[in-house]
Amino acid sequence: MAISSYRVIPGPESYLSPAAASMGVVLPEKGEALIEGKIVPEEEAIEKITEKLILAKNPFFFPGPLILWAWNEKAIAKAKAVKELAEAAGAKIIPMPDYRPKYPMINPEEEINPNHPNLTIWHNKIDTCVFVGVHCHYANLALKIIRGGTDCYTIALCGQAGHEDAMITLRDIHSEEVQKLTEVVKRAKGGTPQ
Amino acid sequence: MMERKVVDPEYMFKRAPREKKFLIGNEAVAEAVKRANVDIAIAYPITPQSEATHIVGDIYAEGYIKDYYRGEDEFNVMSAIAGARMGGARTFTATSGPGTLRAFEMFPLWAGARLPVVCAFMCRGVNSPLTIQPDNIEIGWLMDTGMLIFHAENPQEFFDMTLQAYIVAEQPDVHIPIGVCVDGFFVTHTREIVEVTPEDEMLPPYDPSTSPVPIMDMEVPPIRQMRDPFVMKSNYISYNTHASWQQEVRAAGERAKKHIARYVGKFIEVTNPDAEILLIASGTAAAQARVAMEQAREKGMDVGLAKIRVIRPFPEDEVRELAENPRIIIVPEHNIVGWLAREIKSRIDNSGKVRGHPRVFGGMTMPPEFIMEEIVNGRAR
Amino acid sequence: MKKNIATISPGFEDIMPEEYQDLVNDGPYGRGLGIKNLGTFKELIEEHPLCAGCGLALAIRLTAASLPAPEDTIIVGTTGCNSILMPQLAIHNIHSLFGNQSSLAAGLKRALKLRYPDKNKDVVVMAGDGGIADIGLSPTLHTWLRRENLTTIMLDNESYSNTGGQESGMSCEGAVLNMAPTGKKFPKIPMPEIAKDSGCAYVATVSVANARRLGRMVKRAILVAREIGPTYLQIFVPCPTNYKFSTSETLKRAKEREKIMEYISSEAEKLIKEANI
Ligand SMILES: Cc1ncc(C[n+]2csc(CCOP(=O)(O)OP(=O)(O)O)c2C)c(N)n1
Ligand code: SF4
Ligand SMILES: [Mg+2]
Repeated sequence: MAISSYRVIPGPESYLSPAAASMGVVLPEKGEALIEGKIVPEEEAIEKITEKLILAKNPFFFPGPLILWAWNEKAIAKAKAVKELAEAAGAKIIPMPDYRPKYPMINPEEEINPNHPNLTIWHNKIDTCVFVGVHCHYANLALKIIRGGTDCYTIALCGQAGHEDAMITLRDIHSEEVQKLTEVVKRAKGGTPQ
Repeated sequence: MMERKVVDPEYMFKRAPREKKFLIGNEAVAEAVKRANVDIAIAYPITPQSEATHIVGDIYAEGYIKDYYRGEDEFNVMSAIAGARMGGARTFTATSGPGTLRAFEMFPLWAGARLPVVCAFMCRGVNSPLTIQPDNIEIGWLMDTGMLIFHAENPQEFFDMTLQAYIVAEQPDVHIPIGVCVDGFFVTHTREIVEVTPEDEMLPPYDPSTSPVPIMDMEVPPIRQMRDPFVMKSNYISYNTHASWQQEVRAAGERAKKHIARYVGKFIEVTNPDAEILLIASGTAAAQARVAMEQAREKGMDVGLAKIRVIRPFPEDEVRELAENPRIIIVPEHNIVGWLAREIKSRIDNSGKVRGHPRVFGGMTMPPEFIMEEIVNGRAR
Repeated sequence: MKKNIATISPGFEDIMPEEYQDLVNDGPYGRGLGIKNLGTFKELIEEHPLCAGCGLALAIRLTAASLPAPEDTIIVGTTGCNSILMPQLAIHNIHSLFGNQSSLAAGLKRALKLRYPDKNKDVVVMAGDGGIADIGLSPTLHTWLRRENLTTIMLDNESYSNTGGQESGMSCEGAVLNMAPTGKKFPKIPMPEIAKDSGCAYVATVSVANARRLGRMVKRAILVAREIGPTYLQIFVPCPTNYKFSTSETLKRAKEREKIMEYISSEAEKLIKEANI
């Protein structure tokens, strides 16, 4: 297959962005990750995520229903780990409890996710965001729309096969992997002269 | 009912011992269903498919499938299949020509709702005038529904692809429907040697927890979840969502490519890729084209064959590469519209070299001589 | 359901929007609530965009409040005014297509029976009169004839409301509506009678103005469907927008034309007595 030259980078990209998969971006295999459409070893992506989180002016976590609801022990553990990671990164949290279309109005300047009331972009003031615990289909829609309309840097910590539409994606991420990431972020933060 | 064990899909497809049986296509697909660990099968009679779902009914009666019934019509069968899939069950159904058209509104819904349905299409002509004979025009219509399409050449491929389709369709990053198509009668009613996997080995069950959209059983969050949520508010974000949703379904098809390569194998099987005249065909047209190619080569003509096994996602890169060398590309088809020729022409740069002939339809067979005529004409050009 | 799908993961309680906290702390799951408890618990419906004075919206609200087991109920709707409200309902629900709600529900119910043999999963079809009696008549009847364990609830506003007030089979004879410019030429389809003859074990009609009775009928219809066989409930839900009356008159109109009917098979009778509803 032809190697894709398409890069998954912050927008605003287009009136209607393509899905990265249709531009030839392929999901990573186990142990790998994607940075801006390129397959890299997982460690490299972890480093890059750490850098992005630390340098971000206004980072946000968007946890989804798969971890916000305490429906099994894994979800509870992952939720706890994600909260610690967000705290370590100094990020704020906007929860996405479900996929309810918002009524009566969506203000596209402020909110972007079609099927959720709370994914806010606030006139592009969120410069880095992390998707975690969102069902893959919905995450892909939102990630693509964000790329189309904003310059937000998107990161997806996926429990399954990953997301080409995010600028960085890890795959098979569960609570232990999130904890490891937190350690890396903490260490990096500690090492940064304030 | 015999004791059975779950086996690894790759083992089943590639390494499991095979037993030779003498089967028609309809029996072959039922043998596949028996090994596919299906929860629910729903049937509706139509020739040439009916026999397959009769046998599936027998398999149910023996206890290998948990639920089975005859539905009220194809639209409602496909709807019930959607409901069963949304509830987390693995399903099987099959139809032909008029049944496909009767059900049509459901196919984009299956894709849009991210349902990994596996449906067999035993293609036949559509009305009017009434015919029950082989003609695969329906594949041309199915191609743009968002479903993935495999086109099996013979009972053996029908058996293999049906099993493989479950595993590809149910990948969490794919999770869209697959139509496994064959040309009616030519495959469904032709008896051939089929090598089947052991009867006491079956695929692992479907795992609903990996679905990219929530299963509708009130056991997974979020509780407030509509499949599909109405996105028809009149605003930019709604439209953009709908557009992105459609893109995501196509993206899922792209992601299927690597799983197809792993589980199904080659998208295209090529003989003599450097030939002056390349036949490109799918289904039984490929079988006839193979005979024509051999005859032509015996006569000293430089002819090759590319058999396309996967129609969606279409192997565009491979077809573009294949199309570079030959002076002429001949696309024999079992339908009047020439959907394969159309598809190839739209994907390559030099579409002028594609000859969308010969075509037969309405039940007519495709004698290799008819393809040969085209080869000879092509050489003279 | 797993009880904790409505429990917030520890640490996120304060972060969740208020309406979700309310749903968790004060929602109806597993509490056996009903119409009489309205006003004392967090309802399943969030703000929705249906017209002011809409009878159908009220009927959905009352039905949602009457589900015997909202924690294990899945609703199957169909295209129409109902489908615009449904995404605001805190229960798994499906928008199928226009008219295939019953067959889809049958497949769903069978899947859930297989996957959860020891649990009751109530599958409830809730759809418009056009969706059930016209375009979806065939699967509606066939699920009844096959004795599928489904509850069918018709939101009867006597027209295709969502598409601008066209005549439906459930409109009254003589009614002048879009696509019936000289008045409808045949009477209302006798769905309750058809339901009875097609094997429904419980058939009832009521209007949205009769909240308590409606609530009881919903509970009965679902319970009988769970244990015995198909059930049908037809709720008259006047539509001020298309029948062009004042939004304050909905309940009055509903009351005026209300027909209360209840058919209960002998088997269902026993069950209802035992359950005391
Ligand atoms: C196959 C198909 N035909 C027609 C429509 C158009 N349509 C959408 S909603 C609707 C009317 C629904 O009427 P009803 O079921 O009575 O529900 P109401 O809106 O009155 O609640 C129609 C005709 C459609 N969406 N799909
Ligand atoms: S059109 Fe009628 S039925 Fe539809 S929302 Fe408005 S009032 Fe309700
Ligand atoms: Mg109506």
